Amino acid sequence: MAGKSKTIKVDYLARVEGEGALYIRYDDHGVHEVQLKIFEPPRFFEAFLRGRDYTEAPDITARICGICPVAYQMSALHAMENALGLMPTEPLRNLRRLLYCGEWIESHMLHISMLHAPDFLGYPNAVAMAKDHPQVVQRALEIKKTGNALVRLLGGREVHPINVRVGGFYRVPNREVFQALHPQLIEARILAELMVRWAAGLPFPHCEQSYECVALSSPREYPMNEGRIVSNRGLDISVQDYEKHFREQQVPHSTALHSVLIERGAYLVGPMARYNLNYPQLSEGVRGLAEELGFKAPCNNPFKSIVVRCLEVLYALEEALRLIDGFQAPDEPYLVAEPKEASGCAATEAPRGLLYHRYAINREGKITFAKIVAPTSQNQKTIEDDLRLMLPKFMHLPEQQLQGLCERAIRNYDPCISCSTHFLQLHLQHEAKRNS
Amino acid sequence: MKQKETPERWLLVSLGNRFRGDDGVGPYLLDRLRSQLKENADFLESGNDMVTLVGRWKDRQVCLLDAVFSDEQPSGDLIRVNGLADVIAPSVCTTSSHGFNLREAIDLGKALDSLPRRLEIFAICAQNITCGDHLTAEVKSGAERAEQELLAFLQADTGES
Repeated sequence: MAGKSKTIKVDYLARVEGEGALYIRYDDHGVHEVQLKIFEPPRFFEAFLRGRDYTEAPDITARICGICPVAYQMSALHAMENALGLMPTEPLRNLRRLLYCGEWIESHMLHISMLHAPDFLGYPNAVAMAKDHPQVVQRALEIKKTGNALVRLLGGREVHPINVRVGGFYRVPNREVFQALHPQLIEARILAELMVRWAAGLPFPHCEQSYECVALSSPREYPMNEGRIVSNRGLDISVQDYEKHFREQQVPHSTALHSVLIERGAYLVGPMARYNLNYPQLSEGVRGLAEELGFKAPCNNPFKSIVVRCLEVLYALEEALRLIDGFQAPDEPYLVAEPKEASGCAATEAPRGLLYHRYAINREGKITFAKIVAPTSQNQKTIEDDLRLMLPKFMHLPEQQLQGLCERAIRNYDPCISCSTHFLQLHLQHEAKRNS
Repeated sequence: MKQKETPERWLLVSLGNRFRGDDGVGPYLLDRLRSQLKENADFLESGNDMVTLVGRWKDRQVCLLDAVFSDEQPSGDLIRVNGLADVIAPSVCTTSSHGFNLREAIDLGKALDSLPRRLEIFAICAQNITCGDHLTAEVKSGAERAEQELLAFLQADTGES
């Protein structure tokens, strides 16, 4: 009797904040192998969401990341609402956008000032940089504080907010509380403009790349929570069709899955992709400043992503002001839905890029399936391609400088593999030297 | 007649993760102190976000409540450190998101002229920081002893009974 085939399949989402390593094999003729190794153990979020109530998904998935928990909450609740047929009202929609503004500000400023800026100014870390450039760090921390205040106000606390729920919010603050943030936002906007000007004056390695940029896009606004998924090479799909065009694949050197476009391979998500695809949706003020400084989209030098992040922070502050000024209290803090057997998906724009969630729930509202595709796994292949294409131009550099440049190239992506500015074990292997 | 000056409020800050066993001793202690001190102090559950702390603690009197590992002292013991005067041992330097630790936060505070006026660290020796939302018995009783010491310290400092 033929044995019945059985398969044990454990889906996992390897989160990558933690340890990473880079392996590059090259010789005088070129680069032969680049591996961004992620060996952080899988965290099994997709597996342990199963059996939990659909209402728990936003809070459970928020724990995936301490830097961008709002992004996980937003993608989770939009996916659940998609499954249940809930449509957030305009006031609720605006409040979610405001919360997302807070997270972009927090996350981008942390990366810009504490992780990325020391690379450009030649310091080993932010503390060393702050001794000589205290104003840069002070400004960044002031701006970040404003982002924290927005997240605290709407989310209940700064990290891992607790006020978000499927259908809306547990509680909505009143107009006066929002208005009290107005002066702080105005002040932060002034500082953010100074940050853009400062970042635009940094020295950038010459490194123009040719990316397939992928981001949400909407005729209505610069994307955060909604839109179609588009690219600069003709992709234009609804979020529901995401899995028809994108595939995750396993590579031996990484516990994080690599995501590829089925038709074309590697692609770029994140601030540069959003910027390149949605430049006209930025405010006139942000576009004006970008153009004055010579940073009009498209931007295809990953080292210049620090400028794009600064511009996105400026935009998020302007947007937060607009939303606060136009604040309308929702009739109810949340919409109610009866659980039913259904499935739904959503993508939102996390600070680091497109974040896709899909869930299935049963008629009791228990999750039977979860799939989460994080931005870092989508960018992982592109990071390796960046290194492969960039290195031949810099082979003349001493090994230590080359190593530093490789680390910088990875930090351009603000990957969640990084727990520190110096997270990499780098193995540069020169074939000729090895064989001699 | 000269008015008696109001004592400056302390900012009590917990570090650590409630869901990592004894690492949750800081938040545990903060909850207990909050219920006793109520409006007489400010409270902040900081997780491990040191960057935010640098923005919050400037010119304040700050008490940090945290878990610590020690090779020399048994779990539940209290280690007190003056954060501005003493050398902070690596074991007290909790690693935060993106690896920004307490010692770096103090160094950053110095560079930015954003230090607290006083920084008292109450660190309780931990035993087990695996996943879970409960403290080991030794750490729990250590936290309760630390609470008494901290309340006595604050009372002596503010002159309030």
